[in-house]
Amino acid sequence: MKTSGNMRIQLSSLCVFIAVVCLTAGLPALQSCTKSGITEEGTSKPTTLIIRFENMVDTLPLVLDTMKYKNLADDYYKVTDLQYFVSNVTLHRDDGIVYRALNNDGIHYVDARIPSTLYWTINASVPPGTFDSISFTFGLNAEMNYSYRFLNPPERDMNWPEILGGGYHYMKMNLSWRKSGMNRAYPFNFHLGIGQIYRGNIINPDSIEGYVQNFFNVNLPASAFSISQGQVRLLVLTMNINSWFNGENEFDFAKYQNMMMQNQNAMHNACLNGKNAFAVRFTSGGK
Amino acid sequence: MKIERKALFEKSFPVSSYPIIQLSSILQLAFLLIISASCTKSSQDTTTSKATPYVIRIPKYFPTELNIPADNPMTVEGVELGRYLFYDGRISGRTEPDSLMSCSTCHVQAHSFVCGIENPRFQGGHPRGLTGILTPHFMLPMINLVWVTNGYLWNGSLSPANPLQAKRRLEDMCWMAIVAPHEISGDTSRSRALIQGIEGYPELFEKAFGSKTVTVKNMGRAIAQFVRTLISANSKFDRFLEGKAQLSEKERKGYVLFMTETGGDCFHCHGGEGNPLFTTNLFYNNGLDSVFVDPLDRYGFTHNSMDVGAYVAPTLRNAAYTAPYMHDGRFKSLEEVIDFYSSGLVWSPSISTLMHHVSTRGVQLTPSQKSDLKDFILTLTDSSFVTNSEFSRPPRLPGEK
Repeated sequence: MKTSGNMRIQLSSLCVFIAVVCLTAGLPALQSCTKSGITEEGTSKPTTLIIRFENMVDTLPLVLDTMKYKNLADDYYKVTDLQYFVSNVTLHRDDGIVYRALNNDGIHYVDARIPSTLYWTINASVPPGTFDSISFTFGLNAEMNYSYRFLNPPERDMNWPEILGGGYHYMKMNLSWRKSGMNRAYPFNFHLGIGQIYRGNIINPDSIEGYVQNFFNVNLPASAFSISQGQVRLLVLTMNINSWFNGENEFDFAKYQNMMMQNQNAMHNACLNGKNAFAVRFTSGGK
Repeated sequence: MKIERKALFEKSFPVSSYPIIQLSSILQLAFLLIISASCTKSSQDTTTSKATPYVIRIPKYFPTELNIPADNPMTVEGVELGRYLFYDGRISGRTEPDSLMSCSTCHVQAHSFVCGIENPRFQGGHPRGLTGILTPHFMLPMINLVWVTNGYLWNGSLSPANPLQAKRRLEDMCWMAIVAPHEISGDTSRSRALIQGIEGYPELFEKAFGSKTVTVKNMGRAIAQFVRTLISANSKFDRFLEGKAQLSEKERKGYVLFMTETGGDCFHCHGGEGNPLFTTNLFYNNGLDSVFVDPLDRYGFTHNSMDVGAYVAPTLRNAAYTAPYMHDGRFKSLEEVIDFYSSGLVWSPSISTLMHHVSTRGVQLTPSQKSDLKDFILTLTDSSFVTNSEFSRPPRLPGEK
């Protein structure tokens, strides 16, 4: 990104952020006070973008705790926990202006068991205009991903051990799986974060000689959508669970001994697949 | 603490965006002032006592969000009263020496507020009520409960999700303990009346809650306030995190085992440097059994089949003092616990998916690794917690000569 563009974004972000704060901090209070007849309600409508995170298995919404999914390796699986970070969400306007969501430091935590995390409201900070693509970081980039950033649950519980690179899991997908024809399903921890390089390929934390940033950026060209002053737009960001397993690197649960935090090869292959796990669509209206 | 939190705050934002945050903070503050000015009337309505606010000091790296209900703010007077009640056997509503029972009868400070495996009154560390009935579960340590946000007790049923409104909060433990057959097996009216009649208590209630009238509700509020002060954050590992202590080589090795998937893989459920509570306070079927008969497991509360055999992961802080271990006290020592996770896991359909080592019956530690892991767990020992005079029985209870 060029310097001039950066400044422009920051200045516009500043103005927009002030508007957001005024509207988010002020309006609810004014409305609550209105009930007691103390002040009158404000009249201006905020421009709002709501991102809805939709976790899918191919064409159907993910249902947790249900052993009904199958990947290309012929493994049945069920997902019990799905938690991940999306950050640096950026809207690209057709005139070259980009808008970066700053809510929550630009980081959003998604937890399939916590319905409120499936929505991220970008308040009134979105500048009106026509946008033609969206980009984001899956996980947290190196600058954002430092330990003790989150002290409170649930984000806190995504912490990634210091010895393994520190910061936070990009994603925790806990599942159990079984081969066709077998009765017993075994757990698998599909966890992504900073990878390690081990001296002599011996998986021993004392032989770690380097770390690998596994976060990746996703850019989703989309049919143009516009947002005007005072409008509420819904952007649906879908993640297809099966894409993590069925991409160019077919993922075989049996190959990785049910874990991957200390297996950079597994995380690398998973991330190559994961880059194709996302899609976006826009709709009018709220939730 | 203010300085530490500010440092963390500054670290959270790139330099370029920091002025924006400052400006937004100013604006938010301005709005808060407007709101508080315009809504003064309703604020005054909620004021019930002139008690002195009690400020909990949040240790470094601990969560900043505390579970303190809005209708029971911490006060110096409330905590003081709660401490008296916590240790006063007359809360049982009885006065005969052999019929007294208080929270502290079972919750013993020297054992991080479990009764202790060597307790002469409770064989094997399994408490029983005044009438001799055993409690359904063994005890959970009473440490850092002010940070528990998703339910108390082994199955987390004391939570806002409980359909019974009277069984949702730490405050509710008071009446629950008084009437439970396996605890005090008493009568709240009798307990309340006895406390009301003890010289000194009405004045303490007035200081804490603005009225000399003793109520069970205020008894519960006071005890909950005291319990929320029971904070442990002064172990060797805490000092290590702050750069004030060094781990021995064995402790360091144990720490690495604790924090790695290919080691003991303890951190996913029990926290670690990124979660110094040393528990997520979440619920797991950790592979103890394949057949489940306890009606008070997590499933008994949620009725989710994935919660069969699941219980909260207890904090490992002061684990040295809290034997026996597990909800049923089946392990008498830390060695037995480590042996179990190393090679004793049992598969069941509802086993937590975090227990992925079940395919090999456990994490398969060598004897020296087990020893290292235990040494690390012992660095979580906070002896100052079990000797802190602020948590101890007051020298004299109200009405005592």
